[in-house]
Amino acid sequence: MGNDKSDVLQGTLDLMVLKTLESMGPLHGYGIARRIEQVSGNSLTLNQGTIYPALLRLEQRGWIKSAWGTSESNRRAKFYSLSPRGHKQIEEETENWERIAATMSRFLAPSN
Amino acid sequence: MDRIRILLSRVAALFRKQKLDADFDEELRAHIDLAVEENLRRGMSSDAARTEALREFGGVAQTRERYRVQRGLPWLEKAARDIRYAVRQLRKSPGFAFTAILTLALGIGAATSVFSVVNAVLLKPFAFRDPDRLVVLREVVEDPAKDERSSIPDNYRHVLRLKSDARTIEDAAIFGQRGMSVAAGADHPRIVGGVAASPNIFRLLGVQPLLGRDFVEDDARQSSESVVILSYEGWQTFFARDPAVIGKELRVEGHPVTIIGVLPAGMRFPQIALSPKIAFQEATDATLLYEPLAPSKRDLAADMGNFNYKSIARLKPGVTLAQANAELEALQNAYTLSAHLPLHFGIALTPLTEDVASGISGALWMLFAAVGAVLLIACVNLANLQLARAVNAERETAVRAALGASRGQLVRSRLAESLVLAFVGGAAGVALAFLGVRVLLALVSANVPRLDEVHVSIPVLLFAALLSIVAAVAFGILPAFRSLRVAPQAALQANSTRAANTQEGRRTRSAMVAAQVACTVVLLIVTSLTLRSFSRLLRQGRGFDASHLTLAQADLFDPQYDDDGPKRDTTRLAFADRALAALGQLPGVQSVALTSVTPLTGENWVDNIFRPDHPVPAGQEPAVNVRWINPDYLPTMQGSLVAGRNITGSDRANPYVALISERAAREGFPGENPIGKKISDLVPDDKHPLTVVGVVADAHINGLKDNAAMVYLPYWAYTPLTLSFLVRSSQASDALIPEMRRAIWDLDSQVAIPTLKSMDDQVSDSVATDRFQAIVLTSFGAAALFLALLGVYGVLAYSVSLRRQEFGIRIALGSGKGALIGLVLRQAAYPVLLGTGVGLTMALIALRWVRSLLYQTPVMDPLAIGSSVLLLLASAAIAAAVPARRAASTDPMRALRTE
Repeated sequence: MGNDKSDVLQGTLDLMVLKTLESMGPLHGYGIARRIEQVSGNSLTLNQGTIYPALLRLEQRGWIKSAWGTSESNRRAKFYSLSPRGHKQIEEETENWERIAATMSRFLAPSN
Repeated sequence: MDRIRILLSRVAALFRKQKLDADFDEELRAHIDLAVEENLRRGMSSDAARTEALREFGGVAQTRERYRVQRGLPWLEKAARDIRYAVRQLRKSPGFAFTAILTLALGIGAATSVFSVVNAVLLKPFAFRDPDRLVVLREVVEDPAKDERSSIPDNYRHVLRLKSDARTIEDAAIFGQRGMSVAAGADHPRIVGGVAASPNIFRLLGVQPLLGRDFVEDDARQSSESVVILSYEGWQTFFARDPAVIGKELRVEGHPVTIIGVLPAGMRFPQIALSPKIAFQEATDATLLYEPLAPSKRDLAADMGNFNYKSIARLKPGVTLAQANAELEALQNAYTLSAHLPLHFGIALTPLTEDVASGISGALWMLFAAVGAVLLIACVNLANLQLARAVNAERETAVRAALGASRGQLVRSRLAESLVLAFVGGAAGVALAFLGVRVLLALVSANVPRLDEVHVSIPVLLFAALLSIVAAVAFGILPAFRSLRVAPQAALQANSTRAANTQEGRRTRSAMVAAQVACTVVLLIVTSLTLRSFSRLLRQGRGFDASHLTLAQADLFDPQYDDDGPKRDTTRLAFADRALAALGQLPGVQSVALTSVTPLTGENWVDNIFRPDHPVPAGQEPAVNVRWINPDYLPTMQGSLVAGRNITGSDRANPYVALISERAAREGFPGENPIGKKISDLVPDDKHPLTVVGVVADAHINGLKDNAAMVYLPYWAYTPLTLSFLVRSSQASDALIPEMRRAIWDLDSQVAIPTLKSMDDQVSDSVATDRFQAIVLTSFGAAALFLALLGVYGVLAYSVSLRRQEFGIRIALGSGKGALIGLVLRQAAYPVLLGTGVGLTMALIALRWVRSLLYQTPVMDPLAIGSSVLLLLASAAIAAAVPARRAASTDPMRALRTE
């Protein structure tokens, strides 16, 4: 299946999706992908398609919900929103990520 | 938690695949549309907007694939795909599929049937509380001179002492099992299975009455009112499950008894033999009632007699069998010394399940091993077929490999085929097992314990499932891994038939044929030894002639015949006289014999030869079986007198005369002439010495395998409670049987007749286990031989068909038919001869276990071994001759043209 790179990215992408939904409210897949691209500036080049397996994974875990709705341009689209469990999960995932980031930065700090 | 939720959602997704696929496609379309809209808004042309949207999205196909992987259970879907592929492949070769499924169904069906018997009889624990802590406690007598220990029934006093002194056992119950003569109302009494046990028996086993109460200690006092507890079956038989049965009465051996309890359904009392030498006679009758065992004064006082009981003990938690055995043995040894007992007593504990099955376990395990061997041979055949198919499919495998199928996928799809076969074959095998169990039960002798528990149960089904999987792997794994070694390029380039006949493939197939032959040789040798043993058992001189004899056993349990009755045994003597006269009057009767123990029911009434003129140390007297007979016994049974004279009517006035068997003469009077010598203490409560007047030839009267020393005494000296009449008549038994029953019941309607059949049937029933073993083994042996021949034939025929071109060329180059036949036969000969050699070696090892199952047949019987090997070689030659002839008759023109 996936390669190592996307596996490492997996948790990161999950957190990005959760944060996006937290700040933006219900959003369709395209919206989420665009938002992530915008927030990250050009530093992250994301194949927008990869968002969908991530969304499915989060939904399977019960962290987000989905429902069909209508876009601003009246296009039928599937909208994702945070579930109560998802709200709680954000804290945990954030802590988790910060711990990893801190650990990484300690490794990357110049040693003397 | 999350894992389960994810798994559930994935499983759910499997069932809504199409809907979910459509949904996702719709979602992707929405995504692209939204992106295109935005790009258009940014001022792109419509073409550019779409291209850009797709570029940003990345691969739609990959996304869809990843999404599906995340959504469903990919391994399950892959497995389903493999199975569908396998089913398709099998449908393409229905002949192979049918053969494979039939072979597996027969193999698994046979193995499962035998296992269901093995499971119920040998493995399944009894439905008691903590059954693994229950043990059978037997006393043993050590003979230091011969370094032998032989098991004897238990002495009440010894067990009571052990029970109070031992710390490793929690409790012990003493009991006896016998046929009890039971009558409800005015019916003729029936002999049914009964247990007389110390009152703690049900507490020991952990069984509570369904109705009424359990025994209490007071019930076992001689003076107390007679009470019984019925088994569920007894409740059904005598009271049709009347809920108000408590307090009602039955007559047991003529005495009224009160029902105080009924046991729950499913409570089956274990059938424990009194000693390993005594066949369990009441095994056919389930235990219907229980009475409290009231020990007699003699039971409580005697250390050296009244060895009449059996005991079950419960080990304390955490105590091992060895610990308990060691403690009880030490206690028993110490007691033997301190009480100055003339014999060395020891103790042997056996787990309950094992003790109950001890008489049959060897035979059953052997059958189980035999059916396992047949199944193994069948699997090897299938492996060979699969291998040939794998070789044929090499080109296809190569194509799949070249198209990028991984090694795992190739192995999986081959294994899937075997699994599909195993599943279908296993299911058919289970269906056959339902039939097979009935066949086995019809063949097996009724005195095998726990037969009523034999059926296709959950453990049996699990066994069949496991067997199917093991079989599938066993015959599927080799061809599966072989497909890995296919080099795509070579396979695609080469002519497929040439690729198939590589040296390596041939060696694998030959090795498998050799393995089959080896298993078959072992099985054939064991089978022919068993047949030799069985035929020896039937054909040996028995010392009596069973033909034209009809047997009736009469049990005198009415109170008027009691030992305690006022007239002592004169009523019994009178009954015996009248019965002999009445039976003698029946039409066509030549003579009527009387004996105290029904022939072929094992050793019974074992006593010792005491010689006043030649005392030996106490406990060293030779053991003998005592029988009470009439003067016509010897002529009726057609036994022969070796020395002295028979008992005659003139001995009636002074009945203290004895006939002894040759073996008794040898052991009791070594190097002496026993005629005229005195022996004593054989007549109950009568010290009058007996004079030996004759020596009779040894007869296998206790059992065809048994040759115990016998003493025959006239029934005038003592008439026992059980009388067996043997009528020699020109009339057929079928006609005689109702007349004999009427004659006996005309004398006394309260006499029970538990056995009434021809002596031929009695002989036949007594060897039922041996016959069962012989029949089942023979069928397994035949199946193994057939399968092995099929293997030899199949491999050879296949190889010949692949080498047709080669043979064509050889013929074209002038090779003779004989040379070609020789070539093929030689190819067959290597694995067959190798297999025979290996089989003979394996047989040397295996036969050690078979020895104890054979009767007077040496395991190294050259006839059995030689004939087995010859049979195998001859059949293998025939199996090989067919393909060899086909090879020789190859038409060179046609063979070469097909190139």
